[in-house]
Amino acid sequence: MAGLPLLALVVFSPLVGALLIAFMPRDRVVLIRRLALATALVSFGFSLLLLIGFNGAASDAGGFRFVETATWVPAFGIQFKLGVDGISLLLVVLTTLLTWISILASFGPIRERVKEYMISFLILEVGMLGVFLALDLFLFYVFWEVVLVPMYLIIGIWGGPNRIYATIKFVLYTLVGSLLMLVAILATAFAFASAHGGDFTGAFDYEQLRGFPFTDVLQTGAFLAFFLAFAIKVPMVPFHTWLPDAHVEAPTAGSVILAGVLLKLGAYGFIRFSLPLFPHAAQSFAVPIVVLSLIAIVYGAIVALVQTDLKKLIAYSSVSHMGFVTLGIFIFQQQGLQGAVLQMVNHGLITGALFLLVGVIYERGHDRTIARMGGLAGATPVYAVAFGFFMLASVGLPGLAGFVGEFLVFQGSFVAWPLYAAIAVLVMTLGAAYLLWLYQRMFTGELSDFFRGLGDHLTDLSPVEVMTLVPLGTLVLLLGLFPGLALGVIQGPTDSVLNAVHGTVTALAGTP
Amino acid sequence: MTGPELAAIAPFGYVVALAVLVILADIVRPGDERVTIVIGTVGTLVGLVLVVAVGLGGTVQPVFGGAYQLDPLTTFLDMLFLAIAFLTILFSPDYLRPRHYPLPEYVATLLFAISGAMLISAARDLLVLFLGLELLVLPGYMLVAYAKRDGLATEGAIKYFLLGSFSSAIFLFGLAFTWGYTGTTSVAGVASHLQQVVTSGQVPAAGLLMGLALMTTGVAFKIAAVPFHYWTPDAYQGSPTPVTGYLSVGPKIAAFALILRLFAEALAPMRADWVGVVVVLAALTMTLGNLVALTQDNIKRMLAYSSIAHTGYILVGLAAFAGAPAGSSAASAGIAGVLFYSAAYTFMNLGAFAVVAALQGRPGVTSQIATFAGLGRRAPLAGALMLLFLLSLTGIPPTAGFFAKAYVIEAALQSGGLVPWLAVIAVVNAAMAAFYYLRVVVVMYMQEPAADAQPVTDSRPMRLGLLIAAVATVLIGLVPGLLIPMAQAAAAAIQ
Repeated sequence: MAGLPLLALVVFSPLVGALLIAFMPRDRVVLIRRLALATALVSFGFSLLLLIGFNGAASDAGGFRFVETATWVPAFGIQFKLGVDGISLLLVVLTTLLTWISILASFGPIRERVKEYMISFLILEVGMLGVFLALDLFLFYVFWEVVLVPMYLIIGIWGGPNRIYATIKFVLYTLVGSLLMLVAILATAFAFASAHGGDFTGAFDYEQLRGFPFTDVLQTGAFLAFFLAFAIKVPMVPFHTWLPDAHVEAPTAGSVILAGVLLKLGAYGFIRFSLPLFPHAAQSFAVPIVVLSLIAIVYGAIVALVQTDLKKLIAYSSVSHMGFVTLGIFIFQQQGLQGAVLQMVNHGLITGALFLLVGVIYERGHDRTIARMGGLAGATPVYAVAFGFFMLASVGLPGLAGFVGEFLVFQGSFVAWPLYAAIAVLVMTLGAAYLLWLYQRMFTGELSDFFRGLGDHLTDLSPVEVMTLVPLGTLVLLLGLFPGLALGVIQGPTDSVLNAVHGTVTALAGTP
Repeated sequence: MTGPELAAIAPFGYVVALAVLVILADIVRPGDERVTIVIGTVGTLVGLVLVVAVGLGGTVQPVFGGAYQLDPLTTFLDMLFLAIAFLTILFSPDYLRPRHYPLPEYVATLLFAISGAMLISAARDLLVLFLGLELLVLPGYMLVAYAKRDGLATEGAIKYFLLGSFSSAIFLFGLAFTWGYTGTTSVAGVASHLQQVVTSGQVPAAGLLMGLALMTTGVAFKIAAVPFHYWTPDAYQGSPTPVTGYLSVGPKIAAFALILRLFAEALAPMRADWVGVVVVLAALTMTLGNLVALTQDNIKRMLAYSSIAHTGYILVGLAAFAGAPAGSSAASAGIAGVLFYSAAYTFMNLGAFAVVAALQGRPGVTSQIATFAGLGRRAPLAGALMLLFLLSLTGIPPTAGFFAKAYVIEAALQSGGLVPWLAVIAVVNAAMAAFYYLRVVVVMYMQEPAADAQPVTDSRPMRLGLLIAAVATVLIGLVPGLLIPMAQAAAAAIQ
């Protein structure tokens, strides 16, 4: 395997598939679907090779493995540089897994313009994988923006009735944040170049910029610009308003990717870029960000309680769950950060599965109003079990994946800031409330009139649907029982992020 | 004339001769469009080769008493102008034919205008600059009025002509002041005189500043910078669509060539006096162009305002040059940014207008954005190309438009004074612009085609032109390293 550009293969194999599909006649729908699935599986396969070879691979000074470097724009020192560490490894595998599952889950629901859909989906995968693997800030930005357009089309073309409003809102929110990040990236590169006599060599190289002493003014400005981009993507309250709209209108697979991967891009950005590059600024903005995270946790949970639309409920639960992630990141504490990374992966698996399950019932009845549901436990027992399993994982039942991440974040915050942790724990019961209540309304009691009216259309999970859920369920169980599997690979990178943050300040309140 | 002089004016002379040849060919074979298209396209390609060959020859010594000089900047701009002519000739027949507008005169007029642009790019004398400018704009008036029985075209042409002549006069008046106070019309002479004024610490004479103000106003009209942009939407809307495409790139980039020769060379010593004006013009032009574009329902008017906004982005590069110390790498990055942006903008904007023209293959198709409804479904290729051009205009990577924006922003950040703030204004504007570009995407991909939708023209010249524009848009974005050394070499010609 040595010498094989494995990362480039992971990232660009979907692009090859997209190009192949572009040249296929549009009426060969079955072939297009199969080719798209095969492409996504190939990329998944490459990412598994990455997973297998990860521990044996040599790492560079920054702790990155499988590093691939090529010059891209020599005049500006822009490189094509990819590398993987424990954090990005988990997210890359999550992405490739969720992509093929989403493509498989789209076979039934997407019947119009299948060709364009599959091309969009595969290009989306290229962008997401590139974001997680790029070690050059310019390259990172390019991939970051590449994500935008396919998602815009997926929501806008294959979405629900209010899709155009939702998709434009999604694009404009994201673009406003990301463009300021571009200015910040260029400004940091220029600062680096001026310190090296105007030479732009390495000015976008993440590993060279890391540890570069940016002035406080630049740190503050750049941190805020990056923060805006990432906070919108996560999304943190008060930048979250695009999310419920986008989720409700997106097709099922779009929601899965949106919740499963896209939200992680923002959190990943915080860990990869904001903290190590601008440690000073990160320190000074930590308290407000922690407060915003707590607000997100509480607010997301409360708003989820009152939702009447099934998808919107899960969307708001995402806001709440992602609040744990940002909380864990900005308490600058070992357990907290590890918990945040785990929570990212777990949330991707669990919420991805929940959106798939919402899609299942929507396919049957074309309605997501919770009030019209009831009594599904008797009619569709397999569905009820699957939903219950992922619902409990989302609540944070010990033994399932959701528990570990949140628990670590609590533990970390108790050490750092006990008061905040106490608030967060209280909210966890709210989380249990809205999900358990949802389950009760959907599955217990008499079969509702609405479902009765569906007659034979109300079938239990089909084999394909089971196939999409099984891998996610297995992983949720596996990571719940053996979190050490994931913690082992993220230990090194999270410690190095924290070193970068703590190395620059002498005293941090509550640091153990 | 000596050998070097002949070599220096060979590209210019060649294009004039080519224009004459097009007319002669029409006399010999009247009504044969194919002859015109072949002569026009092959001729411009040969011209491109000639420009490169002469440019590689490296004749840098001035000829005609110092009034005319070839340098890498000339070569870069001339290549761009010929590319514009080439693409415009490919895009035009499908639009002109069904409306019974004669093609040969059109192509000849276009080539005459291009020769004017080429004269500007090589001029080292204020009067030759003015000559080039007039040679550029006079055929332009004719092209705008080409649909002479169309009310909108006539209205647009009259506005364009009146304001154009007016601004030429203002510009000439400014030249006269400058000449009067510096005693020379040579670019280098003016520069060295002004350098003396600046280094001696004198306050520049009021008349000189007056000249500067008048010339600034004149060129601001030509590039359609806010608040001198009022002619643009009407002229763009009224013109035949391929002419609009040409107008949005040809005269604009030629006017930027004029600005580079005049402001970045002759008036460079006084940059502290005009950088503030450029910063304000850039900020206003970007912001107002985008704001008004948001409200347009007519695609040609929308693209007109978008082209105003792009003028603003290009001005950011000029401001970066002016805000940085003379001879610094930041100053040179600013000029290179102007050139890189111009090249990227040429292909993406001409491409977008070409798709609009392709939609209007049958007379009577309006320019309403609604005509794009369902394009992604009824003509997937045209839709995909329009999507590409719009994404590039928005500045989404990996397209030419994205890298061009990054280039001028990086230059602005390196510059001094208020110029770095233009970077922030530019990106806020880019986000705003996304709204109206993506609205077209919404119409193309997320709405159903109208029942009476007209087919999209699909001739070979149109296809070839679209292919070239699309490939250039992608290539400049993916491998900007191809273009950057050329832009840098051209920028190095300006000190």
